[in-house]
Amino acid sequence: MRLRQGLNDRLISWKVSGGFRQTVVEILERGRRNGMVVIGFSIIATMIALALLAPVLPLADPKELNTDERLLPPSSRHWFGTDNLGQDVFSRVIWGTRVSLAVASLAVCFSLIIGVVLGLTAGYFGGAVDYIIAGTIDLFWTFPAFLLALAFAAALGASLWNVILAISISYWAGFGRLMRGQALTIRERQFVEASRALGATHGRIMFTHVMPNCLAPLIVWASIGVADAITIESSLSFLGAGTPVTTPSWGKMLSMGMINIAEAPWVTTFPGIVLLITILGFNLLGDGLRDVLDPRMKGMRR
Amino acid sequence: MADLLSYVIRKLLLAIPVIFLATFIVFLMLYLTPGDPALALVPPRHTPADVEEVREKYGFNDPIYVQYGSFLWRLFNGDLGSSVSPATTGLEVSSMIVQRLPRTLELMAIGLTISYSLGIPLGIFSALRQNSLGDRSVMVFTLITYAMPSFWLGILLMMLFGVYLQWLPISGAIGGITSIILPAITLGLGNAALTTRMMRSSMLEVARQDYITQLRSRGLPENEVIYKHAMKNAMLPVITVIGLDIGWFVGGAVVVEKVFSWQGIGMLTVDAIEKDDFPVVQGCIMVLAIFVILGNLVADILYAYADPRVRLG
Repeated sequence: MRLRQGLNDRLISWKVSGGFRQTVVEILERGRRNGMVVIGFSIIATMIALALLAPVLPLADPKELNTDERLLPPSSRHWFGTDNLGQDVFSRVIWGTRVSLAVASLAVCFSLIIGVVLGLTAGYFGGAVDYIIAGTIDLFWTFPAFLLALAFAAALGASLWNVILAISISYWAGFGRLMRGQALTIRERQFVEASRALGATHGRIMFTHVMPNCLAPLIVWASIGVADAITIESSLSFLGAGTPVTTPSWGKMLSMGMINIAEAPWVTTFPGIVLLITILGFNLLGDGLRDVLDPRMKGMRR
Repeated sequence: MADLLSYVIRKLLLAIPVIFLATFIVFLMLYLTPGDPALALVPPRHTPADVEEVREKYGFNDPIYVQYGSFLWRLFNGDLGSSVSPATTGLEVSSMIVQRLPRTLELMAIGLTISYSLGIPLGIFSALRQNSLGDRSVMVFTLITYAMPSFWLGILLMMLFGVYLQWLPISGAIGGITSIILPAITLGLGNAALTTRMMRSSMLEVARQDYITQLRSRGLPENEVIYKHAMKNAMLPVITVIGLDIGWFVGGAVVVEKVFSWQGIGMLTVDAIEKDDFPVVQGCIMVLAIFVILGNLVADILYAYADPRVRLG
C-alpha cells in the first residue's frame, strides 16, 4: 500500500514537474493512440532488436565465402538465398541492420549536437553572434546535403566513421535552423526573463529553459533525420563511396547484387525490402509524432 | 515590377556566398584525402618529377590562402584540371563535363516533367476526395515511394520491365528514346510523392478559405471553382519546393545514372570516385553544386513572381 502510494506520488510529481519529464510523459501517452507512431515504433524496435541480437542469433558468418554455394535460391538452409560469393544473404541483411542503424543514429546524434548548440547560441544571443551563425546555417542549408556528403565521403575514403562524419556535416543545418527559430521566440518569454532576474547564467537558461521547450520538434526531426541518414548511407554505399567493401551494408549488397539481377533477384530483393521497411518505420514515427505533438509543423521537411 | 527586380538582385547577392562555400568545399576535398594532396592529382604511373611538377603548378608549398586564391582563379578561367585515370589521362575535366552535361539535363528535364504531371493531378484528386478510399491509396503510395531510396526503385523497375517483361532496355548506355524511360520514371517517381503531398495539403487548406465558400455559394460550377480559383493559390507552396526538388534531383540523378549506366555527369562522378580520379570528382561536384544553387535561385524568382507578398517581405 505504502509502495503504491509512493509510486503514485512519484507519477504525479512526474506529471506536474513540467519541462523535460512532462514532455516525455506526454509524448508517450499521446503516441500510444496514434496508428503511425505505433507501427513506426514497432518496426524500429524490431530492427534495433535484430541489430543488437545479431552476434548471438544462430546466423551463418556474413563474411564467409563459399564458392560451392554461389547464387543459391532461398531455401530452408539459406532463407534469403546466397550471393555471387556464396555468402548467406539473410545473415548479411541482419548484420547490415547493425551498420545502417549505427551509422544513421550516430550521424543524427552528431548533427543534433552541432545544430542544437549553434542554433541555440544564435537564437538566444541574437545580434552579431546570430548574424554570423545564422549565415553559416543558411549556407549549409542551401547546399545540397547529398552532394556535400558525397564530396566528403569521396575525399575521406570508404570507412564507417568517414560516412558518419560526411552525413553529420551535411545534415546539421536543419537542426540548427529549427533550434534557432525556436530559441528566438522562447527567449522573449517571461519565464526566461524571470530566470535571468534571479541571476541564472546564460548557459543555464539556454539548456534548462530554452532547450526543453524545443524538445518536441527536435524529436520529430531526429526521427525523420534517421530515415534520411539511412537513405544517404545506403546511397553512398551503393555508389561505392560509403562503407568499406567487406562490411555487410544494404546499399553495397544492392549494388553487388545488380550484376546477377536476372538469374538471382533475391540477392537484391531482400536487402531492398528490409531497407525500405526500416526507412518507412522512421518516417512513420516522425510523421506520427509530428501530428501528435504539433500539428502546425505539417509539411515542414526537407 | 521594381520590387521584383530588387528582390532578384537581393537573391543574386545571397547566392554568391553559397557559391563560395561550394568552391571552398571542393578546394578542401583535396586536403581531406589521406596522404599527400599532390599524389591525388598525378596519374597512377608517375615519376617523382611529375609529382614535383604538380606541386609547383598547384602551389602546394604556398600558404593555404594563396592556394585557395589560385584555385579560384583557375576555376574562374574554366580550368578544372585534367583527368588522371589511366583510360582518360590528360583529358581536360571541363570538356569531359561539357560532353556529359546534355545527358544529365535531358534526364532531369523528363524526370521533372513526370514528377509534376503526376504529382499535381494526384494531389488535387486526393484533396477533393479527402479520406476516401482513393485518397488513402494515394497517401499510402506516396508514403512508400517517398521512403524508397531511388536506387532500389530503379532496380525494381529494371527487374520488372527490363528483365521480367523485357519491354524496355535496362541500360542507358544503349541509347535510343526507350532507354531514357526507366531512369526518368525512377527519378520522377520519388519526387512525385513529395509534390503530391504538398499539393494535397495546400489544396485542402485553400478549399477551406472564405473566398472559395463565397464562390460556391454564388453558384459557380465546382470545376470552375477548383481549377480557375483554388488552383492558383494552391500552387504556391508547390512552387516553393521546386528549389528543394532541384537539389533532390541532382542527388537522385547521380544515383539513378549509376543504376542504369546513364552516361551523364552523375555516372562520370561515380566512375571517377571508383578510379580515384580526383580532379574529375572535384570538377563534377563543383558543377553539380552550381547547378543546384542556380536552380534554387530560379525557384526563388519564380515564387516571387507568382506571389507578390514574397518580394515585399
